[in-house]
Amino acid sequence: MGRGVLVLAGRIVRQLVRDKRTFALIFVVPAVIMTLLYFLMPDEVKPVKVGVVNHDTGVSVPAPAVKQKGIWQSPPAPTVKKELGKEVVKALRERENLKVEEIREDDASSRLREGSLDAVLFIPANFSVATLKEKKGEVELCLEGTVPGTVALTRREVQEGVMTFFARMSGQAVKLPLRVKTTYKYGGEDFGTLDYFAPGFIGGFVFFFVFLLTSVSFLRERSSGTMERLLASPVSRMEVVLGYLLGFCLFAIIQSVVIIFFSVYVLDIKFLGRVTDIAVVVFLLTLGAVNLGIFLSFFARTELQVVQFIPLVVVPQFLIGGVIWPVETLIEPLQWLARLLPMTYAIEALRRIMLKGFSLAEVVPQLLFLVGFAILMVVLATFNLRREQA
Amino acid sequence: MVACLVEVRGAVKNFGSFAALRGLNLDIEEGETYGLLGPNGSGKTTLIRAMAGVLRLDGGEIRIFGKKVPSREVAARVGYMTQAPALYEDLTVRENITFFARLYGLREKVAERVEEVMELVYLADKADRPVRTLSGGMKQRTNLACALVHRPRLVLLDEPTVGVDPRLRQGLWEYFHRLNREGTTLLISTHVMDEAERCGRIAFLQEGTVLAVGTPAELKEAAGAATIEEAFLYFDRRRGGGDDG
Repeated sequence: MGRGVLVLAGRIVRQLVRDKRTFALIFVVPAVIMTLLYFLMPDEVKPVKVGVVNHDTGVSVPAPAVKQKGIWQSPPAPTVKKELGKEVVKALRERENLKVEEIREDDASSRLREGSLDAVLFIPANFSVATLKEKKGEVELCLEGTVPGTVALTRREVQEGVMTFFARMSGQAVKLPLRVKTTYKYGGEDFGTLDYFAPGFIGGFVFFFVFLLTSVSFLRERSSGTMERLLASPVSRMEVVLGYLLGFCLFAIIQSVVIIFFSVYVLDIKFLGRVTDIAVVVFLLTLGAVNLGIFLSFFARTELQVVQFIPLVVVPQFLIGGVIWPVETLIEPLQWLARLLPMTYAIEALRRIMLKGFSLAEVVPQLLFLVGFAILMVVLATFNLRREQA
Repeated sequence: MVACLVEVRGAVKNFGSFAALRGLNLDIEEGETYGLLGPNGSGKTTLIRAMAGVLRLDGGEIRIFGKKVPSREVAARVGYMTQAPALYEDLTVRENITFFARLYGLREKVAERVEEVMELVYLADKADRPVRTLSGGMKQRTNLACALVHRPRLVLLDEPTVGVDPRLRQGLWEYFHRLNREGTTLLISTHVMDEAERCGRIAFLQEGTVLAVGTPAELKEAAGAATIEEAFLYFDRRRGGGDDG
């Protein structure tokens, strides 16, 4: 009996060593994924970007130096202009995790919308007056609000920055009843992690399943000999590729509609955009996934080898394409890499549509990239099909 | 001179260092049942795939109906039956045949034509069975039906009787002859020597070239042989080949 075990084990080792690709994958893929994860978990926190709209006009207060000496009084008491708004900005600038930028009020809304700022702090015109004279100063922090981690970090950092300012002023024996009023441009207090992840999951699932289904069924088409029959028929290669596309797009769109309805009505996920807009993005992502599947299926002989493409093609897109971690929080080289992946653009578009209620016209750059990727993949797939003939 | 239905001129095809076709010439006339006879590796399948437009030649050319292949126009009027059944296992017999009918551009009376073909290959009672539940012989008949459903003028059959039981083989040949009587030109490859007797004309293939062409009787007579097999060996020896003894 012992001998039989060895014979079998020996055969398995021999087969595995002979299947060079499986052999390589066993060792290469863990290294690739681990490297990605290593860079995905950076030690330092990325600073959040805060814009400040400072309207504070300042206030004139009696110069304290004069009062203290009190030897002789000058008839018009000398005054000092205090601008507490500037003090707040200064305190915020000192914080490592904040990248502070003074902006005009007109730009605030659009900067939050396009995502180039995570929050805007409004300091009202009467801030100094209200704080020093009426003792009820108030600043307003308006958060972009769709990225849960960023929201928490921004709130904490701004609060602490304001506290620093407060402490400094208190040192000068000024009682400061100061309030930070928080508002959200998108999302809100009840906005949860799942709300943020839903668009990512739609993109991720659609891509994963469409890619897997297409590459496996295209592989079957080749291994069962039906591809040979298709090529012998009067149907052109481009028609074969486009036919596959149409068939799978239908399924992908139905799939994402189901995900959307399930998310919205069962899981009660916040959802602003229109379903038809989401369907358009999903359709374009599917185009790319179908053709990538067809293209890569030429490099596989068995279904196992197709499955082996998943850690190479799908997992990195999940990790750095924004499904889980926002692309902006990645280290720079990974951000460049992410900019080459269709997933990044699809999720960016989905997130804007679903979380911020963008229309299709506002995600045109993302859509264009998806179209470009799809066209490139159609060309590559057709080219491979042409080679099939030789 | 009447133009041939199929003209193969100096066909060359290499797979890496292996020369599958070495300047092969062949003519098939309309209405023939033409047999390609040769051992495995002699180039039968390569030649048929090139005719079907699936394979690009490295040299020479093939004309079918006077047009150079690959051509979509030609493809529409050629039927191609692959060696192994090329079917969608999850679909039923009827769905498979209908798919190929539509693929070849059949528009009218598709359902009737599909029924008709299923009757021809005795599969009408299996019409709604998924292909994966069929026996090897039934699959092969479905495969044949898929190749014939669009009423091709020329049918290319790559070893249609390999792995088929004697009764089905008999049935297939009867069907081939009937098709031929109805005016369809057939090209049938085989490595079973006695099957070649059933063809009108045959070509002996060896190492990518044609050894000899003629009716079975002519070939046997020229070789002074009693069987097709002996005739093949005679021509093969004369060429100086036969290194596998």
